[in-house]
Amino acid sequence: LMKSFSSLSIWTLESLSGLGEDGSSIGSDSEINGLAVRRTDKYGFLGGTQYSEGSDKDIRVDVARQRELKWLDMFNNWDKWVSRRFQKVKLRCRKGIPSSLRAKAWQLLSNSKELLDSNPGKFEELEREQGDPKWLDIIEKDLHRQFPFHEMFAARGGHGQQDLYRVLKAYTVYRPEEGYCQAQAPVAAVLLMHMPAEHAFWCLVQICETYLPGYYSAGLEAIQLDGEIFFSLLRRVCPMAYRHLKKFKIDPILYMTEWFMCVFSRTLPWSCVLRVWDMFFCEGVKIVFRVGLVLLKQMLGSVDKLREVQGMYETMERLRNIPPESVREDLLVQEVVSLAVTEALIERECSIQVRKWRESRGELTHQPVRRLHGTRDIHEHKRRASAISSGGSFSFLGSIPPPGPLRASSSLLSLPGFRKSKTPFQEAEEKNGATAPRDSA
Amino acid sequence: MGSDEAYNFVFKVVLIGESGVGKSNLLSRFTKNEFNHDSRTTIGVEFSTRTIQLKSLIIKAQIWDTAGLERYRAITSAYYRGAVGALLVYDITKHLTYESVERWLKELYDHADPHIVVMLVGNKTDLGSERSVPTEDAKDFAEKNGLLFLETSALESTNVETAFQNVLGEIHRKVSSKEVTRGSISAVSLSSPVPRAAGDPEEKKPCCRNL
Repeated sequence: LMKSFSSLSIWTLESLSGLGEDGSSIGSDSEINGLAVRRTDKYGFLGGTQYSEGSDKDIRVDVARQRELKWLDMFNNWDKWVSRRFQKVKLRCRKGIPSSLRAKAWQLLSNSKELLDSNPGKFEELEREQGDPKWLDIIEKDLHRQFPFHEMFAARGGHGQQDLYRVLKAYTVYRPEEGYCQAQAPVAAVLLMHMPAEHAFWCLVQICETYLPGYYSAGLEAIQLDGEIFFSLLRRVCPMAYRHLKKFKIDPILYMTEWFMCVFSRTLPWSCVLRVWDMFFCEGVKIVFRVGLVLLKQMLGSVDKLREVQGMYETMERLRNIPPESVREDLLVQEVVSLAVTEALIERECSIQVRKWRESRGELTHQPVRRLHGTRDIHEHKRRASAISSGGSFSFLGSIPPPGPLRASSSLLSLPGFRKSKTPFQEAEEKNGATAPRDSA
Repeated sequence: MGSDEAYNFVFKVVLIGESGVGKSNLLSRFTKNEFNHDSRTTIGVEFSTRTIQLKSLIIKAQIWDTAGLERYRAITSAYYRGAVGALLVYDITKHLTYESVERWLKELYDHADPHIVVMLVGNKTDLGSERSVPTEDAKDFAEKNGLLFLETSALESTNVETAFQNVLGEIHRKVSSKEVTRGSISAVSLSSPVPRAAGDPEEKKPCCRNL
């Protein structure tokens, strides 16, 4: 592969066209022999729709410093904070994780840090494996097609693309039965913008197996199910948008596939992507549902807005290209935080949709795995698992078995915790004013 | 899209074929006259429109671009609904992408209107020196299967216009010769030539006899 990289390491200006007349000096500082002239925004974007025009307000230095100290304090007693003061952790994630500490915070929130520490050398071992050429071929084709406007991934064969290859390949070796799904590439790329390949790998593992199990698996059943759950939640949250989409027969998978599979990383202005990911790592898939619902409310939630999108294509066009100026970071977070969509509601809707699926389409080919709803849930799961095994180094701590073929004896409803309408966590959350359901069913 | 112009027909056309054969670039070349070496992978579906004049008629082409990776085929049936044309694309330098054409064709006929107009498109003729699919092979295959056929280069803008024009023309020919059934004609949505009426084009009555 390295050979093909060197033959490909031509600076492709075409991908950066429109970025300035003296295009030759544009690029990642590491790729252009010390002639680097950086024209990136503060997130590393050189252009494209996710380029930030510098309108984002920076928080004051003293406030930023305060926040960093608070986070460093949490890092030092992480388990205690999660088990005893989780509401505070959640609140701080909602306020936005300081960018200097984001990588470490994501790894702690997702528990990928523990996977990393308990599997020394595993990543290297996976890298040394040959890998299935079927996947490697597709991965290679995709390397230059992820965030082509980000300095890290703009150069063919550059460090960003090489690391992306390492992470994605390692995953196909780690889970040969899962292989590679294209939406994993942008997710891995976002992680690589923050952390080294090995760390990004374990973080990706947690996303694919704990946060969003089945999203990237063959058949894409999990994403289709979540599409149905999403649509049904929309009916409660914004009936006007729901009726509009129903009227024009716009299936959820037509617009939410990319949103959910890439956790909005290709959809929102970058400052919003980071805030969404901060909350997502802490609170889980609920955040993905909520962001999607807030967007639909925003795009299709009033008579005036609907007047502009009378038709299937007009509507699709609007949903595929959300104008960046219509998504304000603070407003988005505020709306996401106050939306009355709880884990309990999602789980309840999930069991309804699984039943409907079985009635209309027969058995699911992949056993629906109960996903863990963020940091607290992962922590609880880990505690229970170690209580059961209680035998020292348990190597897949915090991880749950990957989705596999349906076993006759296991049904979704028999999975522990699935039937319970409320876990202690949800009760605790509902007590918290910020997320109290306004119209709980 | 800013497409406030009047039109006589709306034709939905889908782009299918393996990942990396150039579907998204064929789309952007046709609708925006753009080409990007590093265009993002398509996840789910993208689409774009362009209005063209065909003789005295204004036709609005709504072109749906789908993800090529096999995994996404599970959710493609919704993309095919209502499509009256398809460009089945392979890469002339990658024989494997040509070998899967038959599978794509089956997929298409399983989900789309049986009268759908299909063109087999061999893309990337700019890489002629790396060609691994002989033109004649593909041409024969297309003939045997009743498909239109053309080789294109989205990069050099060769035959892209012609490919889409031919497909749209053939769709129009089928529609006006009433080869299509009533059921499928409703998928070919029509609007009055005067200012575009708002509403679901698919719900409008077919009115080609008025044209």
